[in-house]
Amino acid sequence: MRGTTGKRVVASILLLFSALLLSSCSAPDSGALRFGLSKMPVTLDPRFATDATSSRINRLLYQRLVDFNAVSMPVPSLASWQRLTPLHYRFTLTPDRPRFSNGERLTSADVAATYEFILDSRNASPHRLSLARSIERIETSGEAVIDFILKEADLLFPGRLGIGILPKSLIESGHAFNRSPVGSGGYQLAAWPDDTHLRLKRRSDQLLLEFIEVKDPSVRVLKLMRGEIDMMQNDLPPELIRYLSQQPGLNIMHGAGSNFAYLGFNMEDELTGVDKVRQAISLALDRDSIIQYVLGGAAQPANALLPPDHWAGAPALQQIPYDPEAARALLKPLGYTPDTPLLLTYKTSSDPFRLRLATVIQQQLAEVGIKVELKSYDWGTFYGDIKAGRFQMYSLMWVGIKLPDIFRYVFHSTAVPPAGANRGRFIDEETDRLIEAAESATTIKAQAVLYQQLQSHLLQRLPFVPLWYEDHVFIARDGVAGYTIARDGNYDGLLYVKQN
Amino acid sequence: MRLWFPAVIFLLWLVLALFGPLFALSPDHIELSRILLPPDSHEWFGYDDLGRSLWDRLIVGAQTSFIVSIAVVTISLLVGVTIGALSAFVGGWFDHLVVRIIDIFLAFPGILLAIALAGLMGPGIDNVVIALCVVGWVGFARLSRAQVMTLKNRDHVQAAIALGAGRSRIIFKHLVPLIAAPLIVEATFAIASVVIAEAGLSFLGLGIQPPTPSWGSMIRDGTRYMLVAPHMVLVPGIALMLVVLSVNLLGDRLRDWLDVRTRDRN
Repeated sequence: MRGTTGKRVVASILLLFSALLLSSCSAPDSGALRFGLSKMPVTLDPRFATDATSSRINRLLYQRLVDFNAVSMPVPSLASWQRLTPLHYRFTLTPDRPRFSNGERLTSADVAATYEFILDSRNASPHRLSLARSIERIETSGEAVIDFILKEADLLFPGRLGIGILPKSLIESGHAFNRSPVGSGGYQLAAWPDDTHLRLKRRSDQLLLEFIEVKDPSVRVLKLMRGEIDMMQNDLPPELIRYLSQQPGLNIMHGAGSNFAYLGFNMEDELTGVDKVRQAISLALDRDSIIQYVLGGAAQPANALLPPDHWAGAPALQQIPYDPEAARALLKPLGYTPDTPLLLTYKTSSDPFRLRLATVIQQQLAEVGIKVELKSYDWGTFYGDIKAGRFQMYSLMWVGIKLPDIFRYVFHSTAVPPAGANRGRFIDEETDRLIEAAESATTIKAQAVLYQQLQSHLLQRLPFVPLWYEDHVFIARDGVAGYTIARDGNYDGLLYVKQN
Repeated sequence: MRLWFPAVIFLLWLVLALFGPLFALSPDHIELSRILLPPDSHEWFGYDDLGRSLWDRLIVGAQTSFIVSIAVVTISLLVGVTIGALSAFVGGWFDHLVVRIIDIFLAFPGILLAIALAGLMGPGIDNVVIALCVVGWVGFARLSRAQVMTLKNRDHVQAAIALGAGRSRIIFKHLVPLIAAPLIVEATFAIASVVIAEAGLSFLGLGIQPPTPSWGSMIRDGTRYMLVAPHMVLVPGIALMLVVLSVNLLGDRLRDWLDVRTRDRN
């Protein structure tokens, strides 16, 4: 009798255990479309967002006055514009513009309040610097007209108005947009229950979209295969993408990207400041092999910061050849050979994939007589060192570049941090002259020509070695349709995605 | 398990570590076209995520783990035995102080302290050795103190004192030789622990810096490719497991052999 009871207890425990195991094996089904992210957004307030994930998700929550087309030319979004004089732009809101998610109508007062908040130095918006240089004052007339009066002529001005518009009433009440956003975008916040889950609701059809943070790429892949997430974009090693392409029930989409990877140099350093050293480094890099084998072919070789199909891009630039012999020939008169190598330190982030790329570059440079010591740091330390000029050589990436005024920010002699991002301390008269000439050009066409000349000049001086533009990849389970990949990697495709 | 199995594994580790530099190894040579290639008849262990030979990296990793474990155990043994034996022999407030310090170290998880120290001092093989020594001496100190406490009143020690022998002479000439057996057994177990700890620190990025291979960093690199190239984890993982297992088994056998009661029974 006692034995029978014991067996029953054991059987019950086993049954319960099996049930628990089975329940843990099935994918959760909340009815939402689930999007896997490697990193959650930092803030949902577009006035303060600077990281890529926040900017991409904010585009779903807020609408902007201006957007960009395929060649990165500004095009109307919430408003069309007229250039009344070189110092006066008039923006008119479109009549069919959507309301804010709280029901309020979006008016010119909201636009003015958003930009005035950013321009107010007390608010310390990271977007203030580029706007404050241009805008003298903002005037509104009626519900739909906003006049921007500029301090100086700026042909690129409409392109600077890509920040999401917030309701004036909530700005004035000090609403915490960073955690409870209210915008006029295609989505609105449904819930942000914890640091790894963010739920949005599509306003047109109430479709629920859930962003789920899964840091580890392998775990993200397993969750996609098990159906715990439905789709994801980027942040995967090419080997895992190849692996996923062989799995049934998944669809993979590739798209050309504009994110620009480069090798930066400290121009004040006695070694990397030498032109021939930088030229030798550029010739020693076999970019095609790295793209083919390490990036899985998912990148395009780059010659300049702007991609060739950008309206100010320079498609005619000659590609830097892979020529280790020429690199050795450049180093030999300087006294460096593979036996008596040039010693350099190369800083990179501790991201495993970036470290992997750096190790390949280290080997390629060793073959021409440049011995590189790799130093990898966590992002904060690494970025701090780069801004402070504590490096000889480093690798980084520019993400989401739209306007050619990036050249002033990165290469003008007055843009040494903290004033700009001339991290290599590149001081060059001809570069300054070309940047200033382009900025004062009276037509976009003339400006494009000058920026092309500038990019050609930079390729000769090599304050950085252009590496490649990384492609974007989107992977989804069967049943997810309607997504398109954007050139800058934004998530706008989620505005139209469908679940069949 | 018979003695030959752990002995063979241990000897293999020893030979690879000591004579590895004699082989023509190129653990850092990158061959992009061989990225993640699985084991085959030419390359028994396959290639890693940069097309480097896993066999070459395994041998250099064996040297790393051997150097670190021998260095840590030797330093810990010398420091621990000196402190422990002196503490027991001198006694009084000095002994109380040493015991309290040992208690504090024992109350704190050793690997956590090593992680904190390695994090503070920065990565590198020398800092790994220092971090592991800081937590490693305690075991030897406690053991040697306990052993010396039982021996210090023996006749030969009293005779040495009566003859005017100095403390260091008594400790190292008349006491330490008598406690060598348990210390050797403790050292074998410590070697296994240090191999694991070094791999753990390297796994966390606090140990040996790339591109120098270590088993821990090889496992860490491999975890990212578990789905597509499991050999990257299995090769260093199995090597690590076999070495630790063999050292532990040999330590067990040594303890049994040194224990006269067990030996007589067998």
